[in-house]
Amino acid sequence: MLARVASEALSGLQGHPVWVEADVVAAAPTFNVVGLPDAAVQESRERVRAAIVNSGFEFPSRRITVNLAPADLRKEGPSFDLPIALAFLLATGQMRDGTDGRGLLAAVGELGLDGSLRPVAGALAVAQSLRARGVRGLLLPAGNAGEAALVSGLEVYPAGSLAEAARQVETGGCGAAPPADLEALLCETPPGEADFADIAGQATVKRALEVAVAGAHNVLMQGPPGAGKTMLARRLPGIMPPLMPREAVEITRIHSVAGLLPPGVPLVVRRPFRAPHHSISSPGLVGGGGTPRPGEVSLAHLGVLFLDEFPEYRLSALEGLRQPLEDGEVTISRRLQSVTYPARLMLVAAMNPCPCGFAGDGRRECSCEGYRLRQYRSRLSGPLLDRIDLRLDVPRVPPRERREAGRAESSSAVRERVVAARRRQQERFAGTGVYANAHMTTRQLRRFCQLDAEAVSRLDRAYDRLRLSARAADRVVKVARTIADLDGAEHIRAGHVAESLSFRGLQEELNG
Amino acid sequence: MNARQHFGRAAEAAAARYLQARGWTLLGRNVRIGRGELDLIVRRGDVLAFVEVKARRSGSCGTPEDAVDGRKRRQVARLAELWLAARPWALRGVSDVRFDVVAVDAIGDHPQVRHLPGAFTLDG
Repeated sequence: MLARVASEALSGLQGHPVWVEADVVAAAPTFNVVGLPDAAVQESRERVRAAIVNSGFEFPSRRITVNLAPADLRKEGPSFDLPIALAFLLATGQMRDGTDGRGLLAAVGELGLDGSLRPVAGALAVAQSLRARGVRGLLLPAGNAGEAALVSGLEVYPAGSLAEAARQVETGGCGAAPPADLEALLCETPPGEADFADIAGQATVKRALEVAVAGAHNVLMQGPPGAGKTMLARRLPGIMPPLMPREAVEITRIHSVAGLLPPGVPLVVRRPFRAPHHSISSPGLVGGGGTPRPGEVSLAHLGVLFLDEFPEYRLSALEGLRQPLEDGEVTISRRLQSVTYPARLMLVAAMNPCPCGFAGDGRRECSCEGYRLRQYRSRLSGPLLDRIDLRLDVPRVPPRERREAGRAESSSAVRERVVAARRRQQERFAGTGVYANAHMTTRQLRRFCQLDAEAVSRLDRAYDRLRLSARAADRVVKVARTIADLDGAEHIRAGHVAESLSFRGLQEELNG
Repeated sequence: MNARQHFGRAAEAAAARYLQARGWTLLGRNVRIGRGELDLIVRRGDVLAFVEVKARRSGSCGTPEDAVDGRKRRQVARLAELWLAARPWALRGVSDVRFDVVAVDAIGDHPQVRHLPGAFTLDG
């Protein structure tokens, strides 16, 4: 007898419909899975066999052929266990299909040997794709129900075991999970642990970081070890605008596909902060692998990617950052498929002033030789630095100053100003696809960044004195625009340009 | 026929008697196909079974069923497929096809017979 069950395969975040067909005939007993299955799908035979027997069903001694159609699409991972088992139960007449007339019911899930259903990666992307195709319901492991319920317009049927899943099919789907209330999930989010108020002193740097976040500018911090660069970076997601429901779903989708969604957590409610070690490979950073998986740039989507010891990263990894920083997404092409992941992130890089870390510190002698210093800094290419609008010097704060520093401003106070500045930018760029000053095109720069007379002369003087390149001057103007937005000013004034110029830090040194 | 072959034949006879006593019909015994041989082919109701008989005179070399290794399994499975291919009618009324092992422990005077239904499949 022949039976088929609908399922879904993911390639990146993109879903593709898959039909799981099972044919059971009297012949020498064998259990084959065909239709371009990978190793994990081949192994599903053993899990399905054990799960069926341990769920109280029969595993008859017949020739069982399972086909995953279409046969030219590569099938990966354990999520086909459940549809294979269900198709098998239908084909052997051990289960009746009660979903007739109620539209399609698709199934995904990994089986344990005892017949329990384990959560799979990418359930949210699967649910969204089914919804877009007009599939009515999704049968999936109870552990995935929360994230799938984020998709409105799709009935979600959770099951804890194969037996429960079979009952869902027989009854045509009963006990659908209630749709998730996105707003409520986001509102319940407690504020993050790390607060700007924890950091004493560093007022200039904090102000610069506020500007960076307000305009979504990328940042490079330079300072001796222990100056607090990491501490500052960790507090950036806390001053970014609160997540919109749509954004939270986007982040969740990527983390779910990467298998990083913790059990029992239906939604990522905070902006991501990713800090991969500098030994990370290029595929690890930008995404890759035989079946391309999201890299750190995509896991940091709508959040912060913090790269400490910036020049120590592999050159191939650093150069791989250029495309995502430019386009807000990464496309990874492999022999069989090409996958695009979103990667709209704020890059926060940090580095020591020199390999030993003490150049310009004043209190300790730098022991680096000249050529080592040049080598260290030359690792950062011009095109990459071009995408970093703010370069900050982060000095060490002496203990005395730290004691004397008053209670610093809290993250939520800073965030309010950022939100207001972002709102001004959204109004300005409405309908252009750009959402923040950092991503302005040259034409938008000319149109929206009007300097008053004094500001123009200030910029011209700096242009001559500092020998700014045209591109560097544009960057100064962009940042000045953000400062003016924080100030609530329509036009950029001389003070804004002056502050913007002060955030150039080590720019000249680095650009040679 | 040497002593070892003699012992094997005796074990097969014991296995056949054991199965027949439990309602199985003997369709074939020592069926030669090419250079290979299927020990017993039996049927009961809608189940058709190809039976490999393994006998042991002592317990020192593991259990009889252990002796049906991967190579032997593949051989039995291949021969069964050939046998079925030549007789499509043999599957009429059959729902399950199985590969069984019948183990005969000939230690002491009273041989012990154990039947392992569905001991292996085409894929091992």
